[in-house]
Amino acid sequence: MRPLFLFFSAWLLISCSAKEPLYNTQTYVFGTLVDISIYGETDERAQAVSNAIIQEYQHLHQRLHAWKPSELSAVNQAFTQGEAITVKADIAQMLSDVTRLSTQSNGTFNPAIGQLIKLWGFQNDTFTPHQVDAKAIDSLISKNPRMTDLVIKGNQIHSVNSAVQLDLGGYAKGYALDLGLAYLKQQHIQHALINIGGNIIALGQHGNQAWRVGIQHPRQPNAIATVALASGWAIGTSGDYQRYFYLDGKRYCHIIDPKTGYPVQGMQSVTVLIPPKKQAGVLSDVASKPIFIAPANERLAQAKAMDVPHFLIITSNTDIQVSEAMQQKLTWLDHKAEKIAKVVRFE
Amino acid sequence: MNKLKSQALIGDIFIIVTSAIAVVFLFKTLWSNVPASQLLIRQADQIIGTYDLEQTRELHIHGPLGESHISIEQGKVRFKQSPCNHQYCVHQGWLNRVGQVAICLPNQISLQLIGEKKPYDSLNY
Amino acid sequence: MTRSTISINPTKTDHHVAKLTALAIALHVLEAVFPSPLPGVKPGVANIITLFVLIRYGFGTAAWVSLLRVFASSLLLGNFLSPTFVLSLSGALLSLATLWLAQYLPKRYFSVITLSVLAAFAHTLGQLCIVRIWLIPHAGVSYLIPIFALAALIFGLINGIICARLLSK
Repeated sequence: MRPLFLFFSAWLLISCSAKEPLYNTQTYVFGTLVDISIYGETDERAQAVSNAIIQEYQHLHQRLHAWKPSELSAVNQAFTQGEAITVKADIAQMLSDVTRLSTQSNGTFNPAIGQLIKLWGFQNDTFTPHQVDAKAIDSLISKNPRMTDLVIKGNQIHSVNSAVQLDLGGYAKGYALDLGLAYLKQQHIQHALINIGGNIIALGQHGNQAWRVGIQHPRQPNAIATVALASGWAIGTSGDYQRYFYLDGKRYCHIIDPKTGYPVQGMQSVTVLIPPKKQAGVLSDVASKPIFIAPANERLAQAKAMDVPHFLIITSNTDIQVSEAMQQKLTWLDHKAEKIAKVVRFE
Repeated sequence: MNKLKSQALIGDIFIIVTSAIAVVFLFKTLWSNVPASQLLIRQADQIIGTYDLEQTRELHIHGPLGESHISIEQGKVRFKQSPCNHQYCVHQGWLNRVGQVAICLPNQISLQLIGEKKPYDSLNY
Repeated sequence: MTRSTISINPTKTDHHVAKLTALAIALHVLEAVFPSPLPGVKPGVANIITLFVLIRYGFGTAAWVSLLRVFASSLLLGNFLSPTFVLSLSGALLSLATLWLAQYLPKRYFSVITLSVLAAFAHTLGQLCIVRIWLIPHAGVSYLIPIFALAALIFGLINGIICARLLSK
């Protein structure tokens, strides 16, 4: 009997290596993949919390849809007709926030160019290569739709420029990250990670180490570096490798320069890292765009204007710039890239 | 005739070359260079458990011959001690890549490495 | 009534085969005692005898020599009916089956080297099957397959060349 007893107690002791309490769910919202990880909760609790968040996201997505009938498209409709419209309080708040950020970037971040985005075919789930009429672009540029064309009085909005069409694609995901984080905290969840289409915000840790985030290589199917994302930090990347089409050997990505009306050329990706603050999520989404769009000699200025000391700019296979602060946070996985990268001072 | 008999013939060369290609192919498909993240231990045909490799720990597993001692050490694992005759399992040494296996046949215990180690929890893109 | 006697008159061939069998057993036992770097990876020099007998005396005799070698060695080593014995037997059986087919390969193009390589692979395959089905019933062995295959190729080749040399004497 004794050997049997020993065997079973040994077996029991050994099998007490518990499965780690990490819950993970992936859903398709905002036209992209949303990945929520919750650590240290029971599966039931984690599932309930993530489901609530996902539902909230689906609702938000419906309200802010740029090309399907939504609260936002109703606003756009009103703008076209030169009429005022009353919106819900959170949307009014959102739009004045977007205006503030647009001004901060000197108009480089400009969600009022919905018509241009539509012209290039990026207000769609799939993109087909097509020639865009240069005259149409010129006409839109000359109309100069900007966020400052909006007049917001309480919950009433109207636009002084009928060419303004809002597309919050570069803002909504970040906004959702902040919403998600607030909800998690309210629910007393201590450790979680939310990834909305690549934009990530962290809460707490993964067990006894920080959440680790990989940064996608713009031209290869692997991560170029990783970052330890401490609690409250957020990370976002604007890149030319997710939404684009090729025409006559040239790549046309979805990020359009509001000054020229054409997709940005000659840039592969810009990654920004945002420390814990009230709008960390929004900034992780918004702040990378003006840096991506600006001409080479203005990129640093944009980073300063958006108050982003942590950035990684990949222009091509042979040109990588990383800020001092970012370099300290990065663990390079691609050593060729590590060697090429030039450290830039934020001053 | 005698000389011919001790030299390789055309058919032999064909067989040898084909076999060599097959062996290379087997290495390419079955061998992995990816660091593993977990250890799967089996005793006879029972799974004893799955263990994280990122820890330092000693495990004692009972088999028909007695107790085998297994060491996990920050990403690698080995049979430290085993009550078998030939000690083949112990001589396998440290394992750290996905797919690697150490087996103590007499004691019916096998160690198998699984789970590609991802250097990150989530991907920013 | 005259007592009938059955007299067995061993021929010269019988003597020869007996000597070779004894040699095969000796080689097998010697090899078993030697430590090998990896479990299951052995030069299998006793197979040289099997192949030699196959060419000189035909398949039937070779089968006898081979199986006799497996049984006698395991009795001598004290592992009769153990997993080691089963592995040895399964390897020998599959390898013999392969030789039974391969012996009909045209001698103009295929020498004993081919037979040796094919038999070596078959032997390895037989052993892996037993390990997979009976001893370690899960996919873990796939990691070991490339090593065993390489050993089969190398040792099959070497044994074949040695056998060819011996046959040409």
